Amino acid sequence: MVYTKKSPALLIVGLIMLAIWFLASNGMMDPYIQHLGGSKYKYTSELTSIPLYFGILAAAFGLWQLFGSHREGHWDYYSSSVAGAMFILLIAMLVRWFVAPEVAVISHAFGKVGDTGKYIHKLLGLNYVVLGILTGIVIVNVFGVPKWAENGVRLSRLGLKTGVILLGTLYSAAELKNLGGLSIVMIGVFVLGSVGAVLWLGARMKIPNSMGGVLSAGMGVCGVSATVAAAPVVQAKSVEIAYTIGTILLWGVACMFVFPIIGNLFGMSYVQFGAWAGTGILNSAQVAGAALAYQPDGIETLKVAEIFNITRVLVLPIIVLWLAVWYVKREESAVAGQVNVGRVIFEKFPMFVIGFLIMFALSSTGIFAPPNHYKGKYFGNTVESGFKESNLLKDAQIAVLQAEAPKVQRENRKAALQRLIENRKIMSIDDDDALRGLVNAKILSRDANKILKGAHKAVRHTAKKIKAFRKWITWLFAFGLVGLGMQITISSMKQAGGQPAVIGAFVGLGKAVLSLIVVLILVSETI
Amino acid sequence: MNNILLSSHGTEGARAAERMAIELAPADATLHHLIVVPDLWKGMMGDDWLNNGVSRDRYARYLESELGREVEEHCERIRSRAGEKGLHYRNTVVLGRPEACLLRRCREADYDLVVMGSPRPKGTPGLRSRMATERVTRALPVPLLLVPHPHG
Repeated sequence: MVYTKKSPALLIVGLIMLAIWFLASNGMMDPYIQHLGGSKYKYTSELTSIPLYFGILAAAFGLWQLFGSHREGHWDYYSSSVAGAMFILLIAMLVRWFVAPEVAVISHAFGKVGDTGKYIHKLLGLNYVVLGILTGIVIVNVFGVPKWAENGVRLSRLGLKTGVILLGTLYSAAELKNLGGLSIVMIGVFVLGSVGAVLWLGARMKIPNSMGGVLSAGMGVCGVSATVAAAPVVQAKSVEIAYTIGTILLWGVACMFVFPIIGNLFGMSYVQFGAWAGTGILNSAQVAGAALAYQPDGIETLKVAEIFNITRVLVLPIIVLWLAVWYVKREESAVAGQVNVGRVIFEKFPMFVIGFLIMFALSSTGIFAPPNHYKGKYFGNTVESGFKESNLLKDAQIAVLQAEAPKVQRENRKAALQRLIENRKIMSIDDDDALRGLVNAKILSRDANKILKGAHKAVRHTAKKIKAFRKWITWLFAFGLVGLGMQITISSMKQAGGQPAVIGAFVGLGKAVLSLIVVLILVSETI
Repeated sequence: MNNILLSSHGTEGARAAERMAIELAPADATLHHLIVVPDLWKGMMGDDWLNNGVSRDRYARYLESELGREVEEHCERIRSRAGEKGLHYRNTVVLGRPEACLLRRCREADYDLVVMGSPRPKGTPGLRSRMATERVTRALPVPLLLVPHPHG
């Protein structure tokens, strides 16, 4: 079978991207960008670069697909996925650059909501990630994914896995240790707790063992992925699979909207929200969606949430083994020999986690940024390390600091400030930390604090490679989540019902509420 | 009435239609059985992204074999009942939307009568993949017998 379709679609996708680049580069989009926020519009540099590269790629591939000859084989199969991938990318571009900013403009026009002090789009988390997933859901359910794009839509999984692998570059060892420890405790308690709760409730409600098994994996571990992994092991009936996946998808999509609203109302920190979403949301795809919905312009929340996702997926083989043994003990029809420990662990082991660890190890060696960097930022107060002479403090700024110096009492801060005054720039990381503490303590005037912040920025540099990784991660997750949206069908969500919906609602709600309480009480605001 | 098309996918309402179709069919008639596997199953991989290809393939094969086994059991039951009355039995299994598949089948072949169950009462457990009866009744070029649900 030849998979590559002789369709003009990919060429058209490429031409649309090139048109966006052309209009943006020649200022023809300026009035519209003015409408979307003018100087506050953040995507001007993306508009004049990204659509050019991908537009050329898509148009060239599109021409070849339309006019070239295609033969059965591996190359044909892989090349057939390009059209779908570019289609998803185009949707992600349109949503990120135009739809989400337009929603923000409309939201601003409505004003802030009551006492919350927030605009409606902020409160509901209606940013490019959530809108991208929603667009994917609308496309698959209203229009259907076009035939020429079907193969490429599956690449969204690859996008997300690559995003997680690259995320490995952004953790410090201490961060990974602390987050890893926290996630093992939280996931350990809540995964085992909810798997046990479903099995117990299932026995009380006298549901078949196969249904209890598949439902407990889905509700307890990582949603649809766990259902897919566990269904063959516990010999779930087709209708049981449908009930379980329907319930999880419906619950997951609802959580993606509700969690950020609750997070905003409680004023949760990025760490707290990431930990809560990573524990309380049943489905792993919506964990990433909710994390990016909560913090669209940074990836601190995503970093926390993904550690929880990784912990969950590492727990999956153990849970599948547990369920296999549990099922075999209870069902005469189950073949005892099917619990092959080695095969289960080999098949269910998430290989991308190894990629994540490799990137973390490489990043720790300083290959992507100078040593001692944290989140890609490093200290440098020489020209060789990136400091600009124009950032040396001016006489007027020195005068302000000298006048306010007597207000400082702590010795380390006093000494750091003195060295800054003498050298016109911050002299060490320790001085930088001490002066940041001084700013946070709000001892000095607003003007003096502004000068100190400027001095801090002048010696803190973001490594170019890490900056590029952050950008790629954002795009890979946006791409992956739009594609996953295209795999959420209303017809599958409609299958939510019966006893699984009752058990699911009970356990899902219990897990969300209890994990919220635990996070608010026990998880500190920073790691 | 030598060619009767029975549209059934094993629900309780459809079983009532099966009994009626077999009862109505004269001896030596052919009972054509249309089984539609709803296309909602195409979305039953959901938005899984954590599993590797081996796990997804195993799941897809398992689901396919489960659906195949259910269809086989269903067909075997009707084949046996039809045989007891001396009817010829033929079946067709298709994937898609129930009403679209039924209408396409009726356009492709000549039937004297179409028999199917009426929509199940609300709240009855089962897959949510109902036949759009109104659309079928408007577009069907063949006489239609709609058999009441046993608990309707």
